Amino acid sequence: MSGNVVRLLEHLDEPGLAEIDTYERLGGYRALRKALFEMDSESILAELKGSGLRGRGGAGFSMGMKAGFMPQGTMDKYLCCNADESEPGTFNNRVLMQRNPHLLIEGIVIGAVAAGANKAFIYIRGEYELQAGILERAVAEAYDKGFLGEDILGSEHSVSLVVHRGAGAYICGEESALLDSLEGKRGNPRLKPPFPANRGLYQGPTLINNVETLCNVPAIITNGADWFKQLGTEKSAGTKVVSVSGSVQRPGNYEVVLGTPVREIIYGLAGGPPEGRTVKAFFPGGSSAPVLTGDDLDLTYDFETMAEAGSMLGSGAIIVIDDSQPLVPLALRLAQFYRHESCGKCTPCREGTNWTVKMLERIDAGEATPMDLEIMAQVQTNIIGNCLCVLGDSMAMPIGSMIAKFRDEFERHIEQARERNEAALAEPLGAGELAASGFSGPA
Amino acid sequence: MPRPEPNFISFEIDGREVRAPEGSMLVDAAKLGDVEIPVFCYEPKLGAPVGACRMCLVEIEGIPKLQTGCSTPVKDGMVVVTHSERVRQAQNAVVEFLLVNHPLDCPVCDKGGECPLQDISYGWGAGRSRFIEPKRHFKKPLELSPMVAIDRERCIICFRCVRFSQEISEDYQLVFLERGDHSYVGTHDGAPYVGPFSGNIIDLCPVGALTSTAYRFRARPWDIEGAGSVCTLCPSQCNLSFTVRDDDKVLRAVARDNHDVDDGWLCDKGRFGYQAIHSPERITEPMVSDGGALRPVPWERALSEAAAGLRKAGAGAAALAGGQTTNEEGFLLARLMREVLGSPHVDSRAGGPLDPAQARALARPELTAAVPDIDYAEAILILDTELVEEMPILDLRVRKAKRRHGAKVVVATSRPGALDSIADAVVRFAPGASEAVLYALIKALEEEPELAVEVGGVRKPDPRHGEARRDQGGLPDGDPAQVRAEPDEHPHREGVLESIPVIGGLAHRLADAVHPRGEDRPAADRAASRRGELDDHAERAGAQASDLRDAAAILLAAASPVVLWGERVGHGPRGTRALQALLALADRLPIAATDGAGLIEVPEGTNARGLREVGCLPNLGPGLRDASSAGLGASEIPAAVGQQVTALLLLGSDPVRTHPDRAAWEGALERSGFVVAFASFLDETLEEHADVIFPAESYAEREGTVTHPDGRLQRLHQAIGHPGDVRPAWSVLAELAHGIDAEFPLYSSAAQVSAELGGAVPFYEGITLERIGGKGMRWPARAAAAVLPPSEISGAELETPPDPPAGMRLGVVPSLWSGPETRHAAVLSFLAPRQRAELSAEDARRLGIAPGDEVEVRAGDALVRATARLRDGLPVGSVFLVQGTDEQSATALTNGVVPVVEVSKA
Repeated sequence: MSGNVVRLLEHLDEPGLAEIDTYERLGGYRALRKALFEMDSESILAELKGSGLRGRGGAGFSMGMKAGFMPQGTMDKYLCCNADESEPGTFNNRVLMQRNPHLLIEGIVIGAVAAGANKAFIYIRGEYELQAGILERAVAEAYDKGFLGEDILGSEHSVSLVVHRGAGAYICGEESALLDSLEGKRGNPRLKPPFPANRGLYQGPTLINNVETLCNVPAIITNGADWFKQLGTEKSAGTKVVSVSGSVQRPGNYEVVLGTPVREIIYGLAGGPPEGRTVKAFFPGGSSAPVLTGDDLDLTYDFETMAEAGSMLGSGAIIVIDDSQPLVPLALRLAQFYRHESCGKCTPCREGTNWTVKMLERIDAGEATPMDLEIMAQVQTNIIGNCLCVLGDSMAMPIGSMIAKFRDEFERHIEQARERNEAALAEPLGAGELAASGFSGPA
Repeated sequence: MPRPEPNFISFEIDGREVRAPEGSMLVDAAKLGDVEIPVFCYEPKLGAPVGACRMCLVEIEGIPKLQTGCSTPVKDGMVVVTHSERVRQAQNAVVEFLLVNHPLDCPVCDKGGECPLQDISYGWGAGRSRFIEPKRHFKKPLELSPMVAIDRERCIICFRCVRFSQEISEDYQLVFLERGDHSYVGTHDGAPYVGPFSGNIIDLCPVGALTSTAYRFRARPWDIEGAGSVCTLCPSQCNLSFTVRDDDKVLRAVARDNHDVDDGWLCDKGRFGYQAIHSPERITEPMVSDGGALRPVPWERALSEAAAGLRKAGAGAAALAGGQTTNEEGFLLARLMREVLGSPHVDSRAGGPLDPAQARALARPELTAAVPDIDYAEAILILDTELVEEMPILDLRVRKAKRRHGAKVVVATSRPGALDSIADAVVRFAPGASEAVLYALIKALEEEPELAVEVGGVRKPDPRHGEARRDQGGLPDGDPAQVRAEPDEHPHREGVLESIPVIGGLAHRLADAVHPRGEDRPAADRAASRRGELDDHAERAGAQASDLRDAAAILLAAASPVVLWGERVGHGPRGTRALQALLALADRLPIAATDGAGLIEVPEGTNARGLREVGCLPNLGPGLRDASSAGLGASEIPAAVGQQVTALLLLGSDPVRTHPDRAAWEGALERSGFVVAFASFLDETLEEHADVIFPAESYAEREGTVTHPDGRLQRLHQAIGHPGDVRPAWSVLAELAHGIDAEFPLYSSAAQVSAELGGAVPFYEGITLERIGGKGMRWPARAAAAVLPPSEISGAELETPPDPPAGMRLGVVPSLWSGPETRHAAVLSFLAPRQRAELSAEDARRLGIAPGDEVEVRAGDALVRATARLRDGLPVGSVFLVQGTDEQSATALTNGVVPVVEVSKA
């Protein structure tokens, strides 16, 4: 089966879904009761592992396995929900938190029970003020009803949950920078190992999951792993909320079965580019995923196919570029974003993003030669794989892929910009410009 | 904390088989195979690696991505490649990236020629840059502090300086501001970076971004030579290397890493104090008083006048050796006094006499900790000393022990100090009440273990285990050395938790010692009565019983406690009692029986230990043997001047500034018939009273040895030639002695005197200058230490300390920045201490004093004026004054006893 389904987005249009009574009326928090009273952490973990649920934040690591890395013991253990959704083009977590906050809270509590964590945090990006407020209200409701706090619903499990707002740094979506930021420090990525499961928040074992990953948990507990696997491919089970944006007629979030052809998402659901335009390229997983071209539209949208095509499912955000849109300004805008967001800790990212921006500016200004394109490509190669975290790669991979796949267009852009430049220089100055330049003419 | 024992494994790097300690980082392990992996941000002294610069990327078989060698621990069988095309490309790339925003202004950069960025660019870079865009610009250079200039354009954002500030000195002043390629190092609000250790960031900086204002543009690396020696400006005795130009000028001092002494750090006094060496005010020729004025004379004249004056005084001569005096100089001084002049009056202590038996007990190897023991101590007791002012490098060491190994820190001082913020327990007590606080602490230790409060995760000992293990691991009755020989009995080898049964045993033993078993009084009664007693003891010390219990619980739970105690514990008329209590505490802990446990004294003088051991005390001869006839000590000399004492010889000693009872010393110098001084700078006292002045050597000109408070003999190497007519003190002393008694040998080098020390001080036997070498040699760790006679101190009952005096008590605040080195070093002079009177808010209110008011502090007729400051946490009923200010020093009020003073608004 492929195409549009509703699992995560079920009941999304139900009025008052963000309130706990509505949520419960629609069957909410039943999974939690089941997890608390009919299962133990081992069987929850087994269910999660068996479901094949992979992280929806970008890396696509098995959630069950990740939770299973948490050590045994009585120390404080943490679960951090990564709600710092900052990847350009990505807005699927936003809708889940805004419309259905209790689904996330239920997923967090079950996840915490599975991982043995007693303290949970939602690290939400500062710009999501509306959503943070909704979550805070929902958390208070959940505490009131005993779904959070000490001895939840009379069980032996205790989980506290705090909504923490970030201060607007993309890097804080990187899990270890998120931890530093949550600890009150400057959000810089940490060296790994040690991995958060061993030494994370406040040096304690920490499980970090994306919003959508955790939102999948209640249904897996309620319906079982096999139900979850009914949809999707062998290696990409379940559904994915895909944010489609760019040159499409109906941008928005669409929940699709993993393995649905990209064409069906872009054209079938999002309506494709405006009349008369064709898809030139698209980012399949947020702006940090290497671009694919119009030739790749028939690939299926799942973790393995995107990886085989040299890109990634990433944050599940498809950004469509049509044939009328020039790539160089896009690449420049992208590079500017990553340069601005680079934390500055490691050399290749700090200097490579800066250098790339400067070269792209030069290309756009008509002050570059095709040789610069070669240098720019090599700079991207020199960044990839050499950084402390993946932020550097997040710029280098898409820019590198653009140069590789659309080299002609870049070269044409260089040529045209140069010509424009030269023409502008050849043009005689008008009288006004002469005066402005301070030239007063013969006395 | 058990010390890690390295387990060697073998791995392959660039085709070579290399053996290295398991778990060491690849960049370090590679060096063992003569492979260099370039690094910028990696610096093991700064703690865990950060992996920021990416310079050390290497290929490891089985791992797809390149890995940072700085953060990858080496494993058995690992196969590493540092020369493949892939690695080379990554290295080229990182160098190219680093130079993107680096100005490459090497020709005008101080770092040029000794710059890791230069070296690595040549060694691992592609040799060209393809970056043609504009580089970032900052205003430059800016003053980060009066000592450090910052050039942000050169900075490669390696994090070293920021990590130093955050994780080593823990002053948290340096931070990264902005983000990405806009990141720069700075302070909050652009305030100057001032802290006692700020200069270390200059050494740490791998580029020319942080340079020394004192060294900027003074030399290029090919103009200079390094001269390794030891800093004698404080008892830390850090190893340093003087940067010397033209054989006669010290231009810089940099750390010379010695893990056993300084961990590779210097304080700012040690780093910049060299500037005083070249002060234009320095005395560089001998002078004699002629018609009331000092006037330069040839050496022959000065020597003959001094010899004549001293010969005349004979047994009436008295000598003081300053703290920076070397062992050789001290040894010769003592011989001059005792053998040549027949006078027993020689002293190197400012704070009153030291009991000979106690001196020998405190010198015992089993009671002495070595500096690195602090790293792995489970508990560190800081007793009556402010390390950052008195032995600053140990302040960093304590922080390291806490941060890296989780040592519990107990601070027992009168004044809130720098280490309070990291302390697990703080015992505040009245100034001068160290005897009472030690007594109370011992009583707290003796309380039933059940009374021990759980503090900071310290587990309560389980008495049942104690019963079972009592005879295995408790206090040894016999010679501690024998106990050490049996490895199974070492409580410190076990982890904290495992060692608790032993401690339980100890605690029970202590309880038994106080109340022998068989006593029928119910345990609860005993405990209750003792609880009341402890309150009394605490009150006598001006301390809180609960603080003492917290401290005791931590010390009881620690298998290897280290006690850092200030010399002032033993000052004053009850100093001997206080030291007895200190020795009793050591006995209770028990320190002698435990490897890695021990005491380290924080003395007032740099070479206090060495001077004591070579016989520079009135009652002790070389080797800590009783002097044949005991002389007058520094505290008794002033009163005897004009009667029993008729001449004073001051060897680098400035009693008016450093000794208690300023007025008495001023009077003594006034009355003394004859005063000879070795001095570097003239002051009013010398100008008025000195008859002969010998120009003193600076520490960069000196040859000889000093002894670290932990027993390590260290060697001073002459770095520069003597300016003007300065002659070495050892030679002047020998000439003086020879001039008085022709039998006295004229030595031809300091080394000749050093060679004699081994014969005179039995436990120095066999320690030659060659063996001391560049890293020093600890005599307590050598077999020859066994010649020290066993301690004569018996376990006699401690006497209950007297009740404290009523009224405001005076405490003194030592200052790292006191002394001529600060005043005469251009970049340090702004730090010279000014007098201030610190009061608690409660006392200030009671006395009607507001912060900033001018106040007068009086003891009898003596008076000190100061500006009032309020300080949180000061014991009520006390006022603190700075010691060692040039004017209005606290020494004007103290006469060795902590006095009761009156404080009033001026």
